Amino acid sequence: MKGHPHSKWSLPRPPLEWRVGISWIILFLCALPLQGEQISSQGDSILERSHRFLTLSDESVRMVLLGTILMGLSCGVMGGLVVTRRLSLFGDTLSHAVLPGVAVGFLWSQSKDSWAILVGATVAGFLGVALISLLRKTSRIRQDSALGLVLSGFYALGICMLTRIQKMEFGNQSGIDKYLFGQVVGLSSSDLWTMAFSCLLILTLTILLYKELLVAGFDSEYARSIGLPVDFLQYLLWLLLAFAVITSLQVVGVVLVSALLVIPAATASLITDKMRAILIWSAMLGCMAGATGAFLSFLGNQLPTGPIIVLVSAVFFLWALFFHPQNGLLFKWLAARNRNQRIALENTLKAVYQELESINFQEETTSVSQLAKRRRIGMPQAHRETDALVARQYATVHPVEDKLAAPPRPTLISLTPKGWGTACRIVRNHRLWELYLTNEARYAPDHVHDDAEKIEHVLGEETVRRIERILSNPKKDPHGKLIPSQQDIDRGFIA
Amino acid sequence: MNPPDSKPLEIHDLTVAYHRKPVLYGIDLEIGEGTLTGIIGPNGAGKSTLIKTIMGMVPSNGGWIRIFGKPAKKSFARVGYVPQRESVDWDFPVSVLDVVLMGRYGHVGWLKRVGKKDRSIACECLEKVNMLPFADRQIGKLSGGQQQRVFLARALAQESDLYLMDEPLAGVDAVTEKTIIELLRDLRNQGKTLLVVHHDLSTAKEYFDQLILLNMRLVAVGEVEKTFTRDLLQKTYGGRLTIFTEVAGQSAGVKEYDKETHPS
Amino acid sequence: MSANRQTKETFIPDFDPIDTFVTPWSTHAEIAWNGQIVTMGILVCLACGLVGSFIVVRKLALMGDAISHGILPGLALAFIIMKSWALFPMFFGACVAGLLCSFCIEWLQKKSILKPDAALGVTFTTFFAFGVLLIAMYGGNAHIDAECLLYGEIGLIPLAESLSLGGVDLGARPIVSMFVVTVLVIISVTVFYRQLMVTSFDFTLAKTLGLPVTLIHYGLMLLLALTIVSSFEAVGVILVISMLIFPSVTANFFFRRMPAILFCSLPLSFVYSIGGFFLARWLDCTIAGAMVLVASLCFALGWAFGPNGGLAWQLLDRLNDKPGNKNARSEGCAVEGQ
Repeated sequence: MKGHPHSKWSLPRPPLEWRVGISWIILFLCALPLQGEQISSQGDSILERSHRFLTLSDESVRMVLLGTILMGLSCGVMGGLVVTRRLSLFGDTLSHAVLPGVAVGFLWSQSKDSWAILVGATVAGFLGVALISLLRKTSRIRQDSALGLVLSGFYALGICMLTRIQKMEFGNQSGIDKYLFGQVVGLSSSDLWTMAFSCLLILTLTILLYKELLVAGFDSEYARSIGLPVDFLQYLLWLLLAFAVITSLQVVGVVLVSALLVIPAATASLITDKMRAILIWSAMLGCMAGATGAFLSFLGNQLPTGPIIVLVSAVFFLWALFFHPQNGLLFKWLAARNRNQRIALENTLKAVYQELESINFQEETTSVSQLAKRRRIGMPQAHRETDALVARQYATVHPVEDKLAAPPRPTLISLTPKGWGTACRIVRNHRLWELYLTNEARYAPDHVHDDAEKIEHVLGEETVRRIERILSNPKKDPHGKLIPSQQDIDRGFIA
Repeated sequence: MNPPDSKPLEIHDLTVAYHRKPVLYGIDLEIGEGTLTGIIGPNGAGKSTLIKTIMGMVPSNGGWIRIFGKPAKKSFARVGYVPQRESVDWDFPVSVLDVVLMGRYGHVGWLKRVGKKDRSIACECLEKVNMLPFADRQIGKLSGGQQQRVFLARALAQESDLYLMDEPLAGVDAVTEKTIIELLRDLRNQGKTLLVVHHDLSTAKEYFDQLILLNMRLVAVGEVEKTFTRDLLQKTYGGRLTIFTEVAGQSAGVKEYDKETHPS
Repeated sequence: MSANRQTKETFIPDFDPIDTFVTPWSTHAEIAWNGQIVTMGILVCLACGLVGSFIVVRKLALMGDAISHGILPGLALAFIIMKSWALFPMFFGACVAGLLCSFCIEWLQKKSILKPDAALGVTFTTFFAFGVLLIAMYGGNAHIDAECLLYGEIGLIPLAESLSLGGVDLGARPIVSMFVVTVLVIISVTVFYRQLMVTSFDFTLAKTLGLPVTLIHYGLMLLLALTIVSSFEAVGVILVISMLIFPSVTANFFFRRMPAILFCSLPLSFVYSIGGFFLARWLDCTIAGAMVLVASLCFALGWAFGPNGGLAWQLLDRLNDKPGNKNARSEGCAVEGQ
């Protein structure tokens, strides 16, 4: 809608930095109620806590922050790849399906920090996704049911194994529950190294294979035809997704990791529509959500980090949903309202023009009551519309000079040059379009009016020129009315 | 039953846009009772969209639709709709008879069971399309032509007055095509009104009494002899008016703000 | 009772038929206790199976998943406000949250440029995170265990307080509410069978017939939410999705018509519940999880041998089509030979 006349009436749009700043402040304010009753038992205030967090003086704070940022980064990138392929819920399924693998890995190594868990989880996640493909290929089960089957079946297996492990002797020390909801405090430096490694792997492969992944995701048939190993890329994507999910499990747990895959990527796809930008935004949003979530949960005295990170990214999502300059629902709504206001104004102007035309432009003014009659509206409404015209400097009003008229005295309207120009343009658009429909699209003359009522408000100058050329600069519309010309507009009625 | 002037279908100034791209624009249409009308036009001309809009499946951006003199929604009970084959979920766990019985649901009230009479009507309708032997089959296990005939039988069972059919002849074998056309003519002879989207120009002239030529806007409507002409077909299948397409797209979002008096 | 038993060293305990099958039913107290567990299991499977059949044919399986997660904040709020397991606030809160979740999903799918699956994923995970946070912050006062929400504890159902009406002891609260919901589900499904069928199969026809399609849709969503709320104590919010999907897709391998599939929920619910009980008894793990394992097993059997598109029959057809390939024994050979 660039260059459209209504754009000057829309709300001022703050620059990006402002908006980011404002949303951070809002987030900070949101943190205040999170304290609840617990903060009072602890001695230190919010300020002290935020100081401790922001200066990174604490060893554990550094670990947590690093962990959440790495997680946000890898989940963001993988989420971007997955969501654009319409596979958001594969991430959800995969995150549940790793659970039996975690249990087997734990059984194998009998400890909770080990590569065995990583390997077991990867294998289980992979099996889960492969099973979905197999179900789809060999039965009539639909995608959504297949996802649900694999998700809950694997999850049940995992839960059975975990509850069994807890009842065994070595199980009690495990704290293996943390895989369900995550426990960011328990991050060890080896966990961090694993996360860093998988994050690096994800970033490297995504950057190196960017164009291959793009084409395979967009049009796998074409990708196959140019000789790309589509299946291999698909499995690679699953593998990377499994890495992202598994390394994030310790931070947010099985259930919420799918949120981190979907929400930042969905937010990114609201913000932009270019693949590269989606990946970058999604990674950035993931990091920001991770860091902010860690900060808020630290402020709130060891509240669970996972849910808070998810809620922070949900706030980002809502912000993009409503306040994004192009796609934001708020701005769309405002634009629609502006346009309706403009159309109302233009309809009033047109009515004034027609009223003046009906007296062959003998006079410069018409009265509000005439306007009401032509628009078939009541006097109060006509006064409101007139006031709107005056407010936008399209017209001036003055009471009638006739002293004999009984009060309330009729008000006279006269158009300003600006109002006159707009009125002429609208009437010209209307009549040109009627002519175009009748002559070129072969509509019956009595059918074209309703249509022109709508079109008159959207015809751009350039289209008008083209229509005029096609119709070879017509003078009259199908009903024999004169079409106002550019000279009429330039001359201005009042001058 | 109806006042004589209430046509089975009246459409005025109907505009439909999808993502701000116009699909149908300013359609004005009247269909008389007891006619068999074909809708033809190139791919993407909005043939199916027209039917879907009448059925309220696609929202319109302007204009109105009347069925038997009443707003479309209030007359749906008198309309039978045959969907495009691709739009049906063929894995759905229903048998052929179940599908045809669904056509009777409008005649059976809430909370009541489907009666013997409805069952026998459904069987009759299946008989008419030669599908009775398959009554217990799951619908996914039929051939394309058979599937089409089942839906036709369902429309018959509905005992509607106006039928809207979306490409009932697409992808069916020659024998089925003949059966279906016979059936449609039978219905017309009973005084029903039929509106059929058709994709095959070569048979259009032979099958229908009336034609609607559509290419985003209505090019022509009327008797086959008058509409199936080289000039009009050229107009339908030839290109579009470029300005028309652009501007129609822009206006799609504009709702009719208020109605004013005609300037003349 | 499982808690009394000795923990064993091996991950899979030795199978002891006496201990698994006979001991749970040896005394009156044991019968009363375990009978309640099995009954609850059957009721959960039956109600979920009936509602789930319609959910699956409407391609809303994941909506079931979403609603089951989405009820969490409602439950949590009800707990926090009432500070106890009060029946009606719990149902009310959870149903409102579940319906709100489904409404938000549909609104996002309609109004935003997001793809449907992304809209679903965003909404339910946010609801769930909110619920988890509420429980973590205030759960201490309300005695909710977050893990229990995730996989339920059907074994503790008999511990719940009894409901009594006019001085008559009705039984443990979860079982009574589950029973009422199951009856409600059975009645609604039989009475509105035609309406549910026709709106699921052909939306346009339903409109043509003058059915209130939106009302029916949200009615079904409400039924779904009610079923999930009454089952979650037993099987948790994640396993309830398997109770919704498994019966219907398993039955689909054997039957081609909706009434048969619906009816299949009954025997399947007995199999799931009793089988799950014994499996959990043997393996000493959570009963809800074991029920789903049994359900998966039934599904796998159906997938392999079901007369309707089972793998074995597909294989047979393929072999018959290719006379030269008749010697192929294993599935692998046939797949490669294709």
